[in-house]
Amino acid sequence: MPDARSLKPCRAERRAKPWNSVFQSPRPPHKASIAVGASALSAKTLTHGARCPSFAAKRLGLTTLLLPLALSGCVGPQSTFGGAGSEAAAVEALFWFMLWGAVFVWVVTIGIAIYATRVSPGRHSERTGIRFILIGGVIFPTVTLAGLLVYGLKMMPEMRSEANGPTIAVSGERFWFRVAYGVEGEPGVVKSLPPGGVESANEIYLPVGQRSELLLGSPDVIHSFWVPALAGKMDMIPGRVNRLVIEPVREGVYNGVCAEFCGDAHAQMGFRVIAVSPEAYAAHVEAQSQPAALTSGPGLDAFMKNGCDACHTVRGTEADGAIGPDLTHLASRRTLGAGLLAMSEENIATFVRATDHVKPGVEMPSFGVLPDAEITAIAAWLGALK
Amino acid sequence: MSDMTSSGSSSASGLRAFLALRRRDPATPPFSDPPPRATQTASHVDQEDPEVRKAQEKRLIWTWDAPKGWRYWSAVNNTEVGLWYTATSFLFMLFAGVLGLMIRAQLAVPENDFLTANFYNQVYTLHGTVMMFLFAVPIFEAVAIIILPQMLGARDLPFPRLSAFGYWCFLIGGVFVCGSIFFDSAPNSGWFMYPPLTTQERFTPGYGADIWLLGLSFIEVASIAAAVELIVGTLKCRPPGMRLNLMPLYAWYVLVVAGMILFAFPPLIAGDILFELERLFNWPFFDPERGGDPMLWQHLFWIFGHPEVYIVFLPAIALLAMIVPTFARRPILGYSWIVLAAVGTGFLSFGLWVHHMFTTGLPAISLGFFSAASEAVAIPTGVQIFVFIATMLTGRVVYKVPMLFVSGALAVFVIGGLTGVMVALAPFDWQAHDTYFVVAHLHYVLIGGMLFPVVAGIYYFWPMLAGKTLSDRLGKIAFWLMFVGFNLGFFPMHFSGLWGMPRRIWTYPEGIGLELPNLLSSIGAFIFAAGVLIVVFDVLRPRSKQPYAPRNVWNAGTLEWLAEEEDKGWGVRSIPIVTSRYPLWDQKNFVEDVDTGRFYLPDAEELKRETIVTGVLDADPVQVLRVPGPTFMTMWAAGFLGAVFIFATFHWWYMTIGAMVLATAAIIVWVWRGTAIIPEKEEKDVGRGLTLPLYVSGPKAVGWWAMFITMVGDGTAFLALIFGYVFYLTIHAEYPPAGANGPGLVWPFVSLVLFAVAWAGAFFARRFNQAGRVSAARGLMVAGALVSLLASAALLWAPYTTGLDPVRHVYDATVWVLVIWTACHAAVGSLMLLYCLARSIFNHLTPKYDADIQNVALYWHFMLATAATTVLVTALFPLAG
Amino acid sequence: MFGLDRQTRDNIWTLIAAPTIWALHFLLAYGVAAVQCAPNQAIFETITATRWMIAGITVVALALIGLIFLRAYREWKGHGGGTVNDQDTDVARESFLEFSTVLLAGLSFVSVIFVALPALFIADCR
Repeated sequence: MPDARSLKPCRAERRAKPWNSVFQSPRPPHKASIAVGASALSAKTLTHGARCPSFAAKRLGLTTLLLPLALSGCVGPQSTFGGAGSEAAAVEALFWFMLWGAVFVWVVTIGIAIYATRVSPGRHSERTGIRFILIGGVIFPTVTLAGLLVYGLKMMPEMRSEANGPTIAVSGERFWFRVAYGVEGEPGVVKSLPPGGVESANEIYLPVGQRSELLLGSPDVIHSFWVPALAGKMDMIPGRVNRLVIEPVREGVYNGVCAEFCGDAHAQMGFRVIAVSPEAYAAHVEAQSQPAALTSGPGLDAFMKNGCDACHTVRGTEADGAIGPDLTHLASRRTLGAGLLAMSEENIATFVRATDHVKPGVEMPSFGVLPDAEITAIAAWLGALK
Repeated sequence: MSDMTSSGSSSASGLRAFLALRRRDPATPPFSDPPPRATQTASHVDQEDPEVRKAQEKRLIWTWDAPKGWRYWSAVNNTEVGLWYTATSFLFMLFAGVLGLMIRAQLAVPENDFLTANFYNQVYTLHGTVMMFLFAVPIFEAVAIIILPQMLGARDLPFPRLSAFGYWCFLIGGVFVCGSIFFDSAPNSGWFMYPPLTTQERFTPGYGADIWLLGLSFIEVASIAAAVELIVGTLKCRPPGMRLNLMPLYAWYVLVVAGMILFAFPPLIAGDILFELERLFNWPFFDPERGGDPMLWQHLFWIFGHPEVYIVFLPAIALLAMIVPTFARRPILGYSWIVLAAVGTGFLSFGLWVHHMFTTGLPAISLGFFSAASEAVAIPTGVQIFVFIATMLTGRVVYKVPMLFVSGALAVFVIGGLTGVMVALAPFDWQAHDTYFVVAHLHYVLIGGMLFPVVAGIYYFWPMLAGKTLSDRLGKIAFWLMFVGFNLGFFPMHFSGLWGMPRRIWTYPEGIGLELPNLLSSIGAFIFAAGVLIVVFDVLRPRSKQPYAPRNVWNAGTLEWLAEEEDKGWGVRSIPIVTSRYPLWDQKNFVEDVDTGRFYLPDAEELKRETIVTGVLDADPVQVLRVPGPTFMTMWAAGFLGAVFIFATFHWWYMTIGAMVLATAAIIVWVWRGTAIIPEKEEKDVGRGLTLPLYVSGPKAVGWWAMFITMVGDGTAFLALIFGYVFYLTIHAEYPPAGANGPGLVWPFVSLVLFAVAWAGAFFARRFNQAGRVSAARGLMVAGALVSLLASAALLWAPYTTGLDPVRHVYDATVWVLVIWTACHAAVGSLMLLYCLARSIFNHLTPKYDADIQNVALYWHFMLATAATTVLVTALFPLAG
Repeated sequence: MFGLDRQTRDNIWTLIAAPTIWALHFLLAYGVAAVQCAPNQAIFETITATRWMIAGITVVALALIGLIFLRAYREWKGHGGGTVNDQDTDVARESFLEFSTVLLAGLSFVSVIFVALPALFIADCR
């Protein structure tokens, strides 16, 4: 596997605004800078730069054959190409194989059609015609499809094999992801996600080289959990607990998104997956399990006074709302608003002040009516909760 | 129409008019200046005498003419209704196309604010909904209504008024659904409407979801009506001699597709019922808190939704099966192979539905079955493509504009088919599902497999419909704009999808590589739209100076090309005897024989609309069918029925019930006046020495077949409800849940016995009536109607008395929905028996002319099966649990 | 054997018999697996009994489709084995239906095998 670091940034990245280059994989995540240049009300969405996918092709030895369009594409943190997870890599290999098969079939079929209508429109014998139907329409597809089917069928149980890493519950909620590390539970129907675990939101650390088991559910509507770079998606369905096994093979920060339409803010319901070494994973979960770093001050007072605690928990304080994301270690996360904005004090203030403007359809009301001093205080406090 | 206006003036004159008109045969149109009736029957005139022919033609033209002035809208001729249907569905397509362009405008650049999130959601939901429900499926019905009778040399379809009724339902429902967006209250949760997002008011406030459900349920009724019509039309209205092996391939496809509609739409209707019960009355079918499961909707929706794709695709392929032989200048090579492919695809398409649900966490083995069937269906699909190519290979291809679109269709569709093979593999689909890869795939399939063939069909059939050809030059420009624009628009979506772009997002961030493919897609979409506009312009531009195209301009071989330059309402001058698949190519003097009236029914001696009904296998003539003419009654029935659905959307319950009563009344009046008319004589001479009966009943009659087919569809909806019951049974460890009682045993079985009695009433009423014991038959009709109501009461009493509360748990709700379904059907069954009683008393139903009770007795067979299934499932399953 | 030598008159119902068997096989296989696996619990336990049941259903379905195939094939050959069948005769109509039945039986046979493959390769409910 070639080091992704060697990849040349492509056009999309060069054009990107300064803050878009933050957190590019595979920079060690704990060293990532969180300084961003987003100005308050024009807050832009946060993304990672895209990269060109040449290694995916090289791995298959197809670089020189690739369609120009495929080459022009870029591997972003949200692309299914790049093989950062073993599931995604297996599917990518399958895709290229099928793509070349498809190109072959299309060229032959359309070639014969052009031959029949343009090159040699004269009559050929019916015997040739029937033989053509029999071979092209029956025998060839039956054999190839059977082979493809068997290959696909064998892949399925492998991709769903038993986990050997941590079990993490992820709950898709309008319009963010609730995360709980280290839960105990099983998939099933007519049930909800197991309680407990170390709670976080919109950011999931996963140990590289281990098969982590994600238990997926939802308390409201159907969402779908998708980290394109690591594995296929799995729906989060109210009343069911689904299971997804993910094995990252390379450290990095990857975008995750909700892939099932869930309401107005569906397009802005994202998260980040940070693949790190098993040791770093353990350290992160340990850090997340601690109470908040700062449990007094004007920010907390304003937070409590304006009722933010009705929805949010900050462990170590009296704020224990369970409706919105847990904010105990808000500032340790890379993004704000479910993958939307870079984490910074200014952006926190912006989000509180104009929630519905930044993320239309969001369930949290805008608190623009609050005195500016209170918003600033809240943002300063939350911005300090590493 | 006069009957409606006069019945409104005063009740006394209204009744008189009603009784008077009741006696008028609906097969004679209410036009002024009728030509003199014929004095001699068809076999006894000299057909070679031009004077005779002129008189015949005058009668035929008068009889089959469309009404004039504002009464034009009471027309029921297949040519008129089919034209309205086609034009309306194209208008809906253009509307949805504009919505599509709005989507592309919004997504052209990242973080665009052309549309708000909520409005974007309305736009994309309506784009999908309108394209699928108001264009793709109706255009099949529309085109089939126009060209199927022509292709079968029939004067009209067997139930012209049903076609008109279907059209008005379609128009009302379509305008209702589309109009909602101008009030910012269109449905906004995707064309698949997944609960719980859509079932719970807190997520989707307003009327959007209700408009979707009720508006489209209404349209589904129209689709099923059209399916019944087309199946009966294909099987029973072929010209004499057109055996199954000589049927045009288009007719084979129509048969298969109409059959698919019959099995695919009812599960959605069942799903709609559950859905609306939850949304309006809080019955918890999809609410996991009370034992429901949102997955059931997905199953029911996609059991409809996947066959739907083939319902859209096959009729378009059927157009290719007509166009390709014409331009290859030879019969299709591999007729049986096409039949294999059509029938095989029809079946296999019902085993694919879960491939829309590969990411819902179902067990791998279950996914495997659907993955396998999804791969298998590629085989018959491929066969069709290869048959066309082989036909071109063995023929001598003449390249005209329709062929250009055919080639484009093949090139595009094959790509869609190949990506279909890819997404049929579950592991790949786990990545591709709900991304722009799938958006690309489905547009390649639908535009390549449906839109391009339909445009080919427009260029091909236009001379037949309008007598004039469309422009070659404009056609070529349109094709290249559409072809290039389409590929530029949709090919990059494969990559934007795999680069991580999910579907149904109103905005996307910059910097993750999605800018370029989206910009290309948007540019392509507008180029494509320019091509479509040129086609529209070509169709609409005034062409009064353009000369008529020669008859059968492409030199095709099938019957629809008998159409003369200037359209005459009669369809064909005389109904031919067919001995070949391509009679215009193979049968000597064929066109002249038809035009001279040397075949059957060269005349409308009594000024009545008539066509020939034939046998299923060999198309041996069995009856002269008199089909009813213009009426506004179908429009009224559709209007009232539409009002039922529209009022229910806004929860205006009293008005809903009022509209329901009016709709029922309108339908009864329509049926009373327009069906099972006792003819003035038993038989009729149709020419060439052949005499056929004018009235048949039972399995020989088209009405009996229509009832049978309708009840198959109805039974499918019922089985979908049973599927729901079994579905909950498999996911719950305990079902009924602890603490819930079943409906008991006593009352359900009392009800079942009563249902058996009512069934026997209907059965023996038919037998006694046939045997001439009319009073006994009437007594049984009354008894059956009453016992049927008692049986319903007992069935409803059972869950009531054991305390089942449909709001409490999904178990209670499933039991209630089954018994209510059965009770409603029993009420209809009761009404039908009373209808027969009235027909008997008014002498419209006699021992000899007994179509009504024949059909009602058939209904009761299905009714008894429904009741027995309901009782056995609801009463006995709790014992096993 | 199996009364195959007796002539039957084909119609639309005999034409769709083979794919109908495919549909029933599909439904039964799906149903059997759903009853076992729908609760989504104990997903790594092997489901040998279910798989054998599906194998049994498959054998029966293949046998029935095979019979339909053989019957149609013999009668079709008996009528001359024509593939075009576009004449206006009872024999041509019969032969057309028989040949189409043969093709549909072939497709149904392959499809039944396809649908049975998951039970061959997937051993549990995961």
